[in-house]
Amino acid sequence: MLLRAPAPPPKDVDLSRTYDAVIVGSGAAGGMAAHVLTSHGLDVLMLEAGKKLDIEAELKSMEWPYDHPRRGEKPYTSHALRFNEYTVRQPPYAQGSPWKTVDSYVQGWGGSDYTKNIVVNEQDHPYTGTRYAWVRARVLGGKTNIWGRLALRLSDYDFKAKTHDGYGDDWPISYADIAPYYDKVDLYLGIAGHPEGLPHLPDSLFQRSTRLNAAELRLRQSMARSGRVLTPYRAGVTTDGLKHNKYRSRCLGRGACGRRVGGCDIHAAFDSPTGLIYPALDTGRLTLRTGSIAREVTVDPGTGKARGIAFLDAGSGQALEAKGRVVILAASTLESARLMLLSRSPQHPNGIGNSSGHVGHNFCEHVMGPGVYGFFKDLAGKPRTIDDGRPGGFYIARYRNLRERHPSFIRGYGFEGSSGTEMFPSTTRLTGFGASYKKAVREMSSAAVHMGGFGEVLARYENAVGLDPEVKDKWGIPVLRFSFQFGDNERKMAADMADTAREMFEEAGIDVLHVDRKVLTEGWSIHELGTARMGTDTRTSVLSPFQQSHDVKNLFVVDGSSHVSASCQNPTWTIMALAWRSCDYLADQLRQGSL
Amino acid sequence: MTLTRRDVLRLAAAAAAAPLVPRVVVAGAAPAPAAGRFFDAAQMALLDELTEMIIPQDEHSGGARAAGVAAYIDGRLGEYDASIPDLREEREKWKAGLALVDATAREVAGTPFLAATPEQRVAALTRLAAGEEDPKTDGERFFVELKRWTTFGYYTSRIGIHEEMEYKGNTLLAEFSGTDPATLPTVRPHEDPKPAKP
Repeated sequence: MLLRAPAPPPKDVDLSRTYDAVIVGSGAAGGMAAHVLTSHGLDVLMLEAGKKLDIEAELKSMEWPYDHPRRGEKPYTSHALRFNEYTVRQPPYAQGSPWKTVDSYVQGWGGSDYTKNIVVNEQDHPYTGTRYAWVRARVLGGKTNIWGRLALRLSDYDFKAKTHDGYGDDWPISYADIAPYYDKVDLYLGIAGHPEGLPHLPDSLFQRSTRLNAAELRLRQSMARSGRVLTPYRAGVTTDGLKHNKYRSRCLGRGACGRRVGGCDIHAAFDSPTGLIYPALDTGRLTLRTGSIAREVTVDPGTGKARGIAFLDAGSGQALEAKGRVVILAASTLESARLMLLSRSPQHPNGIGNSSGHVGHNFCEHVMGPGVYGFFKDLAGKPRTIDDGRPGGFYIARYRNLRERHPSFIRGYGFEGSSGTEMFPSTTRLTGFGASYKKAVREMSSAAVHMGGFGEVLARYENAVGLDPEVKDKWGIPVLRFSFQFGDNERKMAADMADTAREMFEEAGIDVLHVDRKVLTEGWSIHELGTARMGTDTRTSVLSPFQQSHDVKNLFVVDGSSHVSASCQNPTWTIMALAWRSCDYLADQLRQGSL
Repeated sequence: MTLTRRDVLRLAAAAAAAPLVPRVVVAGAAPAPAAGRFFDAAQMALLDELTEMIIPQDEHSGGARAAGVAAYIDGRLGEYDASIPDLREEREKWKAGLALVDATAREVAGTPFLAATPEQRVAALTRLAAGEEDPKTDGERFFVELKRWTTFGYYTSRIGIHEEMEYKGNTLLAEFSGTDPATLPTVRPHEDPKPAKP
């Protein structure tokens, strides 16, 4: 049942030829570009900075903690940054560190040994400026190897948010433009969820939903009285299997989702390598080059168009160039912006595609931190179910600023939560010691419910990244300097998250043990968006509605940098739907000779 | 009645006040404590007793002692690279913390911790645990750290996972046995289906 096909053999890279397209990055966006373009019969070269890992050997999803020499923890010579380090200190956080490696905060969670080769060593990849918890994965598949799997659609409440409340800018597309592509992503990659018919959180073409447990069902029923919707976790996970993909198994509820930084070694959860890249390799039209550190989009001096990508070989340090008729950036929101800014030429003195000066600006994301933890006390001591045998617990759809207008902030937030038994009991946080403590940990573990909010951070021109004039990374490439801070709207929204979270728990009869009001450091949500936004006005936007550079027609940027606003929904599914749509357009234009 | 943080604290205080510890006295002479990889024999004996007091054996399952939690903590500290200042400091804090436990026992009972009666030991540990939610002294901070490592060591052990928590996951499931969403009543949103037209 768990036997899956091994990764297809690599193809030889030929840097002397001009590929139809060169893609930088192999995460959700790059993987999707590779899938769509190869399915159109194009020859594609994908450059990935990191390695291709033997991911099953890394993740070992079902290893018991006691069978690991450090109970799943990475070697003790490695340090994961903590909340107080992000807030007290300034980047670069790993500067002068005596540790052998320094990781972002996610490696401070349990099971960090299984993901130690996925995330970057902060010592090699510094950044400067304002405080920011930047989480990066330089490896084939990028962050899709460890993503949280929540797969949500945006609606016209998001695409037309300015029309709705007057702030910022509308997207140059509407839900009707992207809906067919959400459908394609759903069917090709698999998504589990339950249809609710909400206009502000459109349903996907769902496979079998995960189930709610008793506590979650009671919370749902209580919330329904006020018209708020708690729905089973909408997971980018195939629960029924995918007949067209031999690399992925359906979800078997093993419990690995909840106890690790992330990773699914049977690939029921979507990841870019098995979901997109391996099938693209099987077409024979995708060539993959790992260990390729992109540093510049090269330009044809005659036409000013993109010629390819200048990159360094990670092993030898050799400077090389890959050439393509089209260049596609999918290196992540911040890395794609960095690459554009690094690509200065006489034709593009501010960086390629940056005649508007908006590259790096309008940077937005999600604010998080506020949440609540409590108990359905009458479930205490009841037989425990395998509550962590699911890709997630529940999601509470946005309810602010839809019909009503909140007096103190605009836009909205949703909650991710779960309840019940996990391998490592959440109830260890109870105070005290001794026999009664031990009994309380045991008996209350089935009654515990917790959730945390994710709210929209407004896109603001002044929230930006630029190049640091001095600091360089391990490869000698200038690093990003952040100028990014939450504002008043985010702080008021966060306060409302904490207040309403408590109210919803109390109305449902959940005894609240703890309300977290703390706003986590900028970056914590790992949902960076909007540094090269789409638009129709070439003076205030970077990309067309098809993620095509206004300035350079054969340059596309298909990752989250194109988003005009952050919405409060997790972005991965939207990134892939947009990339699919843009690559369909790209293939069509290439066929017509318009690029 | 709602269970508040204060209630939980009160529960813990009541537990600490009740004569729970003597119920589980190991019969016969305990084996002579051995030195660990990091701690000496006396420190290992003290650490072993402290972890067992935090998560004791009860009628349901074995405690921290049976789960080898002290050896886990000792092994972890023993593996630390002392050339890294944070790790060197953490090690020092553990030795200092154990000394603080003895100092607290001297204040409470006039003897080192292991020479005190079970009731006196509970009183000393209760004093260190009093600031658990907002530790202010080195002793209180040590208790938080000691408990964090003890719970991690215990609930990741065979005994903790299988006997105490009777965890049934980490296995292949045909389907999670929750509520079939098909049976969920529809929730009718109160919002208008479309945002205002431009």
